[in-house]
Amino acid sequence: MVESLRTRMRAVRWKGKRVHWSAYAFLLPFLVPFLIIIVAAAVFGVYVAFTDWGIIAKPIWVGFQNFAEAMGDQYVAKAFRNTVHYGLVIVPGIAVLGLMFAMYVNQGWPLSGFSRAMFFAPNVVSATVIGLIWVWILDTQYGIINNYLGFFGIPSVPWITSTSWALYGVSMASIWWDLGLGFVLFLAGLQEIPRELYESAQIAGANGVQQAFRITIPLLRPTISMVVTLQFIATFRIFSQVLVMTDGGPASSSMSVIHYVYTEGIVIGRLGYASAVSFLLFLMILAVTVVQRFLIRERHS
Amino acid sequence: MSKEHGMSRREFLKVSGMAAAGATLMAAGPQRLHASGSKEESGHAPGQMRTTELVHWSPNSASDGEVEDRWIALFNDAHRDKGVQIRKELVPYEQYRTKLLAAVATGKAPDMGFGLPAGKGALFARDGVTVPLNDLARQVDLDLSDFTESSLKNARYPNYGGDELFSIPMDLMSLQPEINMDHVAEAGLDPSNFPQDNASLLEWAKAMTQYDSSGKVIRSGIMQTASAVQPNVTWGIVSHQMGFRRASDDLRTACVNPEAGIRAMEWVLALFDEHKVSSREVTDRYKAFGNGQGSIFWTGPWTINGYLQQGLNFETFLFPQIGEDNRDTYFEMGGIEMYTQTDTGRYEATIAAIKWLSDNSFLWTTEGRGVSPRKSIVSRPDYRTAGPPWKVRGAFVEGMEHAKIGEIPILAADDFTIYTGDNFMVKTLDPVWVGEKSPQVAMEELHERWQKDLDEG
Amino acid sequence: MMVQPRTGRQIGSSGIRLGRLRGWQIAIWFIGLLVVVAWSAPFVWMVSTSFKPPEDVMTLEIEWFPRRVIVDNYVKVFVNHSVWRWIANSVIVSASATAASVLLGAMAGYALARLTFPGRDFIFAMFLASLMIPIEMFVIPLLIAFIRVGLANTYLGLILPTVPHVFSVYIFRQFFLEMPQSLEDSAEMDGASRWTIFSRIALPLSRSPAIASTIILFNLNWNNFLWPLLISFEDRMKTLTVGIASFAPGVGSHTQLGSFGVSMAAVTILSIPSLLVFFFLQRYFIEGVAKTGIKE
Repeated sequence: MVESLRTRMRAVRWKGKRVHWSAYAFLLPFLVPFLIIIVAAAVFGVYVAFTDWGIIAKPIWVGFQNFAEAMGDQYVAKAFRNTVHYGLVIVPGIAVLGLMFAMYVNQGWPLSGFSRAMFFAPNVVSATVIGLIWVWILDTQYGIINNYLGFFGIPSVPWITSTSWALYGVSMASIWWDLGLGFVLFLAGLQEIPRELYESAQIAGANGVQQAFRITIPLLRPTISMVVTLQFIATFRIFSQVLVMTDGGPASSSMSVIHYVYTEGIVIGRLGYASAVSFLLFLMILAVTVVQRFLIRERHS
Repeated sequence: MSKEHGMSRREFLKVSGMAAAGATLMAAGPQRLHASGSKEESGHAPGQMRTTELVHWSPNSASDGEVEDRWIALFNDAHRDKGVQIRKELVPYEQYRTKLLAAVATGKAPDMGFGLPAGKGALFARDGVTVPLNDLARQVDLDLSDFTESSLKNARYPNYGGDELFSIPMDLMSLQPEINMDHVAEAGLDPSNFPQDNASLLEWAKAMTQYDSSGKVIRSGIMQTASAVQPNVTWGIVSHQMGFRRASDDLRTACVNPEAGIRAMEWVLALFDEHKVSSREVTDRYKAFGNGQGSIFWTGPWTINGYLQQGLNFETFLFPQIGEDNRDTYFEMGGIEMYTQTDTGRYEATIAAIKWLSDNSFLWTTEGRGVSPRKSIVSRPDYRTAGPPWKVRGAFVEGMEHAKIGEIPILAADDFTIYTGDNFMVKTLDPVWVGEKSPQVAMEELHERWQKDLDEG
Repeated sequence: MMVQPRTGRQIGSSGIRLGRLRGWQIAIWFIGLLVVVAWSAPFVWMVSTSFKPPEDVMTLEIEWFPRRVIVDNYVKVFVNHSVWRWIANSVIVSASATAASVLLGAMAGYALARLTFPGRDFIFAMFLASLMIPIEMFVIPLLIAFIRVGLANTYLGLILPTVPHVFSVYIFRQFFLEMPQSLEDSAEMDGASRWTIFSRIALPLSRSPAIASTIILFNLNWNNFLWPLLISFEDRMKTLTVGIASFAPGVGSHTQLGSFGVSMAAVTILSIPSLLVFFFLQRYFIEGVAKTGIKE
């Protein structure tokens, strides 16, 4: 009996191959905490989005009421607009600067190892550090940025204290912080481009700029698309630096979706509503991923 | 109806608390939220006292927190051989509510806490988060007749707990202007004659404001920020002085006298745009005033120690009369509340500790912050001479008679709080301060939500 | 080592001497260096401010290097806050969470890459999808659950939710996908069990993904913010990141006292471990990121 079960299990095929039953034993130690902590909590989070829940009492099912309210909430609209705005500032910023820095470091000129380290370094410190340093750097009166702008006769910019600038102030800090990821991915991509291509282009008389636009950028397309997608996903979740730098202000001008979720959920205590808003954000992230997948597939075919 | 609701909620808590306690025993985590040694240490050698450790939560993180630490240390010294100790945990204001509710819902609440200023009292009372204190106070002979009537009134939520007290008042606070005396001297103003009304306030502010070459304010005569706490609490006070009321006395009508509210919004805006005595470009008001970036800053008594330690040359005066209706200012009460426990046996030790803290709140209400709600403390001959100099502390004591703009005792009190950085009112008014929304529209939005809140009780 | 892909050459460095560059190249090289210096300026400014006395912090003239060097700001941070305790907590939490993730991730990554079994693609897709979910969405249910089972304010409570981080699964899977089949085949012929193959053959080869995931996850855990903020109910259970965050106006209000000098001292303390680890092990950091494209 046991023997026959064994033989039968051995005979099971999946995708034309023998099934390795031991795989489940390898997966289980990771899968169990993953299911219990991440999946269960996420499912409960979705459930909460359909309830009114103030922690003390049990959640009360309210159907789509939270979503309906979120759709009509001018601050939700603002949070989503700001978040997209962050994406449109930070993502191109990182893509362009990251690519330029990667191309520079990739030349292998003296001190390139040092340059590479410095470009990546901000990526390793926490959002708290970034936030606190940049609040100080962007200080309207005493910050170094305005000080140097003043040197060129540019009047000081209220980077984080005015509604028209706060989002850009936070974006600057975020670009500085987050550039490392795109930069390194570009660098890895550049290494795959054969040097010979540049050499022959040089012989054909193409200058540096022409080489960049005719060789580098076309060949880096897949990397660029990956960096842009990853960075959009990361930027849509922008939170800690907003909290530390501006707390979403002034007048919600730098408030991101997650910051609104944090304020409504954790500070004010409307958990159902906050969950519903974050679920909407999840849908937006999902949409970006799907669109990117689709675009890549189009190009392949 | 509401009361029954509260009772059943409390029972629900009890049951879920018991379930949670069972789970804890099984999980046996190395640490628990309240690490009471009572059970664990009962097996010790005979003669050794078992110690109950009361956990006290506090959101006080300004310079008042340090005095609170000393106050609690005094308690611990006095109770070292009496088997009770208090452990204070600093829980930041922003997470206080969530953490407290999560702890209470699972039967692991702290024993007591300084509570939240932003009007969660009614909600906590209804949901059985806080423990009604009348009987407990009687048990330990806490002399309630020594408390001012208004302080006790602020610890009650008639709609949800009858005449029960839900916290023991510890100190009464008001918002008063602190003024940088170096700036006063520099501007040649008379330090014995602080501004009393709108005209003199603006005159002083203009005299002290500094501008850069392009005419931009670089040092505010009146300290403001572009949004969040400062402009909103300013509006809350000025609008009240002009005759606006967030809610009528009978708690039925929202936004009484809306024109006055709108006028007050225009008054705040004029500080930035017309009189040019305030800059919107301040990120951290506390730090900025401490560093001399502003001349007049209305704030609470919790800042005094910090600025004294920093060597700031400042005094405090009574909030001027800006509106025509009254000279009222913001009121806030600090009180210690008790949180629902699975083991109700802990209540006795907790209320006894609170009584001790109240009886010995002289330190807290002279050096720490605010004014004592206890008549016997305020009438002590050394009450004026203890703690920081009277010229920085006096206005907070003498100004109490004007401190009337407090919480609205309903469930959604939070929406009405004027001293906060994150609530419905702030969200609605912030766009006004930066010129993105008209005062009229903001007033309509306030009215709509506040009326709904009042209707819900 | 035939199974170690792409580690032979370090990404982005090959030596070209200055003398071999042409005029315009030297100009670009120099401008680039200026950008590098500007890029590191915030760190220099942070450290420099942290050593200044309060009256030298708010100056209209920029002082890149403090005229008067004081350590008072650091003394203030250490004396007024339990910084050593927070550091110890951070080390305990990050080290154990990382060790667990790497080990479990290696096993899971191995199964996903080398073994065939029903549900494989679904499980992997689920892992990837989890990277898209904003954690803020389920952080409160998780908090309640953790308090209820008695894990609030415990090391286990701080550690557990960070263990199932799919980063290590992903990077090990990538690595094992590239491992030649022949190595396993011969062992299988000898009748070795799957565990033996994993622990004796696959694991010893995977030094590079192990190091990469260790340092990247350690860094992620070290910088983790929202969860430790909520699950720590006592000052002595805070991690360094949470403790230091109280110097920010939006998070806590230790801002009344002192100047930017104190908060810069605090963030210097917080960032130094990350930066040191990075500068010594940057090769692995950069490889780990380059191969997976994951870094939160």
